[in-house]
Amino acid sequence: MSDMLNIGKPVQKMDSLSLATGTERFTDDFHVENPLYCAILYSPHAHAEIKKIDTSTALKVPGVVDIIHYNNVPRVLHTTAGQGYPEPSPYDTLLFDRRVRFVGDRVALVAAETVQSAHQALEKIIVDYKPLEPVFDPERAMDKDTPKLHVDDEHAMIPATYEPEKNLAAEVKISFGDMKKGFEQADFIEDHTYKVHYASHCAIEPHAVICYFDERGRLVIISTTQVPFHVRRIVGQVLGIPVGMIRVIKPRIGGGFGGKQEVFLEPLIALVAWRHRRAVRICLTRKEVFVSSRTRHAMRIRLRTGVKNDGRITALDMDGLMNAGAYGTHALTVISNVGSKTLPFFNKIENLNFCGRSVYTNLPVGGAYRGYGATQGYFAFNQQIDTIARRTDKDVLEYIKRWHIKEGETSEVFKALGEGKEGVAQAIRSCKLDECIDRGSEAIEWYKKRAKRIKVGKNMVKGVGAAVSMQGSGIPKIDMAACSMKMNEDGSFNLYVGATDIGTGSDTILAQIAGEVLRVPTQKIIVLSSDTDLTPFDTGAYASSTTYVSGKAVEKCAHDIAEQLKKVASGMLGTEQKNLFLDSEKAIDKNTKKSVTFTDIALSSMYEKDQFQIQAHASQTVDESPPPFIAQFAEIDVDLETGKLKVVKFVSAVDCGQPINPKLAEGQVEGAAVNGISYTLCEDYNFDSIGRMTNPTFWDYKIFNIRDIPEMETILVGSHEETGPFGAKSVGEIAINGPAPAIAKALYDAAGIRVYELPITSQKVWKLLQEEKPV
Amino acid sequence: MNDIQWYFPKTLEEVQPHLKRDGVKLHGGGTWILRGSMRGIKGLVDLGKLELHSFRKDSQTVEMGAGMTYAETIRSMTTINPDHILVKALQHAASTPLRNIITLGGTIFSFPVWSDLMGPLIALDADVVLMGERSEAYSITEYVKSSALRKESLITHVRFKNIGWNAYYYREVKTSFDYPAFTITILLKKNKNLIEDTRIVVVGCAGKFSRVKKIEDYLKGKTTDSLEIDGIAQTHELKFTKKRSLEPAYLEHCAGVQIERSISELTRG
Amino acid sequence: MEGLFIINGSEKKLSFDSGDILLNVLRANGFTEVKSGCHEGQCGSCVILLNEELVNSCQVFAAAAVGKDIVTIKGIGDIHSPHPMQEAFVETGAVQCGFCIPGVVLAAYYLLKNNPDPDDEEICRALDGNLCRCTGYVKIHEAVKLAAKRMAENV
Repeated sequence: MSDMLNIGKPVQKMDSLSLATGTERFTDDFHVENPLYCAILYSPHAHAEIKKIDTSTALKVPGVVDIIHYNNVPRVLHTTAGQGYPEPSPYDTLLFDRRVRFVGDRVALVAAETVQSAHQALEKIIVDYKPLEPVFDPERAMDKDTPKLHVDDEHAMIPATYEPEKNLAAEVKISFGDMKKGFEQADFIEDHTYKVHYASHCAIEPHAVICYFDERGRLVIISTTQVPFHVRRIVGQVLGIPVGMIRVIKPRIGGGFGGKQEVFLEPLIALVAWRHRRAVRICLTRKEVFVSSRTRHAMRIRLRTGVKNDGRITALDMDGLMNAGAYGTHALTVISNVGSKTLPFFNKIENLNFCGRSVYTNLPVGGAYRGYGATQGYFAFNQQIDTIARRTDKDVLEYIKRWHIKEGETSEVFKALGEGKEGVAQAIRSCKLDECIDRGSEAIEWYKKRAKRIKVGKNMVKGVGAAVSMQGSGIPKIDMAACSMKMNEDGSFNLYVGATDIGTGSDTILAQIAGEVLRVPTQKIIVLSSDTDLTPFDTGAYASSTTYVSGKAVEKCAHDIAEQLKKVASGMLGTEQKNLFLDSEKAIDKNTKKSVTFTDIALSSMYEKDQFQIQAHASQTVDESPPPFIAQFAEIDVDLETGKLKVVKFVSAVDCGQPINPKLAEGQVEGAAVNGISYTLCEDYNFDSIGRMTNPTFWDYKIFNIRDIPEMETILVGSHEETGPFGAKSVGEIAINGPAPAIAKALYDAAGIRVYELPITSQKVWKLLQEEKPV
Repeated sequence: MNDIQWYFPKTLEEVQPHLKRDGVKLHGGGTWILRGSMRGIKGLVDLGKLELHSFRKDSQTVEMGAGMTYAETIRSMTTINPDHILVKALQHAASTPLRNIITLGGTIFSFPVWSDLMGPLIALDADVVLMGERSEAYSITEYVKSSALRKESLITHVRFKNIGWNAYYYREVKTSFDYPAFTITILLKKNKNLIEDTRIVVVGCAGKFSRVKKIEDYLKGKTTDSLEIDGIAQTHELKFTKKRSLEPAYLEHCAGVQIERSISELTRG
Repeated sequence: MEGLFIINGSEKKLSFDSGDILLNVLRANGFTEVKSGCHEGQCGSCVILLNEELVNSCQVFAAAAVGKDIVTIKGIGDIHSPHPMQEAFVETGAVQCGFCIPGVVLAAYYLLKNNPDPDDEEICRALDGNLCRCTGYVKIHEAVKLAAKRMAENV
């Protein structure tokens, strides 16, 4: 890689100075003339039927222009999941429904001339509810006598199991081999149930939408979205207006993490705009984001493994029950990812069974969240492996190395489990997990600390834990990215990508890729991304897809440009195109060393001879989703008297292929790891007896700040993924998978207690220390 | 939104007439007002232009203006003693930008259960100097227990003895920027290894705060080498109610453990 | 109500309602570089310097800030001549989504103004009022150290 100009270099993120100086604009920073302001009324009931809604007094509040609710908006079933079409998520959502399904479900929206008027009017809307029995326990959701949430014409768009009459939002099953035989062959069976909890993405920018009409009467939507093209499609679908009438602009986005892959706000605001042909805006409060946007799906996972005394797993049965919440957005795909991201990891298990179910409850709605099922699955998987390794008296790292999937190997699960349909068979082409394990364990001093129970002060004991995981790089045969590119007189290039930079730095990464192909510095690539009028299509920023999928589109497109450059240059130099190569912003004849600059090429093509615009476009879909791999290590000190647990050091060693930009890759890993540690130790949704979240503020829902973080070490273990752009795989999600299991395992190492249910609070550890006889 | 009449008095005399008016509140830092409901507030008296930032000390007494922010308090107290209980407590309170807003007077008036100020002030046996209906100095414990005192008065100063006792502060939090479930303040007066006096205050327990007299009595008059600290925790007799997801039993246990450790730390060596 | 403010060195006459919060007034008047993340004084996206003290502008009434000196992120440097702190954030890769960054940079600027040579603990304490969900704070910490070093060299 030594001759690389841009790839593998810590190129400065192209919008970082403008962000640091405050000139960039986020959605709510845009000014529009004379907008209507919106406020939303939410249900105080977990489950109820609206008998009557009286807006007459509210409408009289000065400044109030409109109040919309189930009685005066079109009834169009859709899903808010920002996924490709047809969506694998069920169509179970309306703009407003007669029935409300969780505390925080939307009941009405007021549009007014001022924010104050809108809020005043909210208080004056009189709603007569008929409370219905709520469902809070996912384990009971499918019982016969349990009330059902979706009883009308809700339906699935794809041939997948969807049985709302059972509160079943999705079901995924795969099975290989002979489970009975597998368990019979086992010397012992480990059977444990793990639970992972609700969480909020906590992007610091709340969701916001602005709609206005352009000079020609087309609807423009500026939105805090990860999926601008899906927004355009879904708004068109719900409002019944042509996609050609809608333009979606993604400005700077203040973090997404999956929370902005949901199209739940845009259709509402667009509808108000459409009804009044006026600009409309909304920015959610933090409380609204907590309660009424989307969350990490809480889940129960039971793992049953038949194991030989030598550690060989003869059978593995994974049974997952996911709490979808009130609506089934991502209900199928997250639960299927629990299986598809974890089960191929130990690919030598012959007898394998996976059953995943998503059920409706009258609680806040789950959705996409960084890790997307893998986080939940790997909490269970890693702890189970630890239990097996300890029981068979093996070092867990050696055990993992012995059994994990390796280069050249495959797993039947890849083919069996896709996203809402069958998956795609693939063999692993790059895997440097062993090196990740070795370098990570060295950094944490594994063999000096493991099982030593080193005392720290009077009451603290040290423990270390490790967790491994893999993710994917885009969704094969589903994700699609496109881009176009054109050349300017000075040898700079405009790159137009549908890919959605939500703070990840993808604009910069994509420019590095284009620059590398053309052998120009990244600064010569001017990127415009995610404007549905101006840029080509892209499915959006999710599924760890941007570098791998969109990056490949850019690579292809830049190669096309390169050939055009050479063609013009060959005429100018009087040499054959095949003799030319590009370097230092020149086309150079490898034989004669004669060259012509990019500037001269551009000038010639634009003004002088055989005039044409040097430009190209490319699309990319992928047949594979090469997983990145990671080994993560937590060193903790636990107070045996109070249960207080402190993560002292956290190491992540990741194989993300060739890091396009090591600094940005490290940033992804560090951010995800801290999010994961924070999630593990202190983040949680507390509900009262009527299903209301009692801590929907940063006062009570605590996330880590700079004083809380442990010593962090990130190791990028380079590999080369031949199918990726310049050898790259993904890195955006994977690092959130390890913290929970690594910390839980470190706790066992330190204190001999096993936490099966997240979060790992001091109180919980204290109780376990008292109840259980620590080993 | 209700229309609020603002007043900007330049002297304490100008504040006086506002103290008795219904729906009119005093505005120091303002964080407490914003945390609560704005409903019913008709007027706000901004105290920002008053000279309530004075800091006076002599060998006997320290006196601080009620308008001092936490950050100002930390800076001033550090000049006396960087290990002073107020420095130890307030440097962890809330966050840097909030420590620049929250005032002593506002906290004493509103006494939020998570306060990092009140434990130290109670342990210091501070006096609150009032202006208004009953213009004089009151002990802080009397002030916080009397709604009559809080009504129609303005805290102008806080005063406490300039004592060089050893100090220990503990706050029970989930993250560093959190509002403590409880706090423990311990002041200890040692003469060589003789414990001459001590004050232990827990804020956040049932009844909002408590002096842990039983343990104080046990410690007083003992020498540090004669203490049997293990087990002291069981005698604290503090009660807690459920807080967020924290159960009383856990809070009681933790408070005990932390008191024990604090004493052990303070009496060591 | 109406009031004169000094914002980034220029006098501005702004009108607002008596109960308005300074953050909202600033944003409504085009100072959208001051971000709003929680309105609870918890996230720190809205911090400004008010009479040279770092405060959450969501916790200040506009009426109580009349006449005061306000500095936003645009007041310490701009895209054409950035402050060394802003440059340090860029160089270390401490800017991801950048939503919290105006607040974080101001908090760091405020720290160095009062303490040009902070240790690690002091850096952490100075930034304890600023939440960031993207970076994990690692590179933010590096950025502040780098800026402190640079600024000390250039004195």
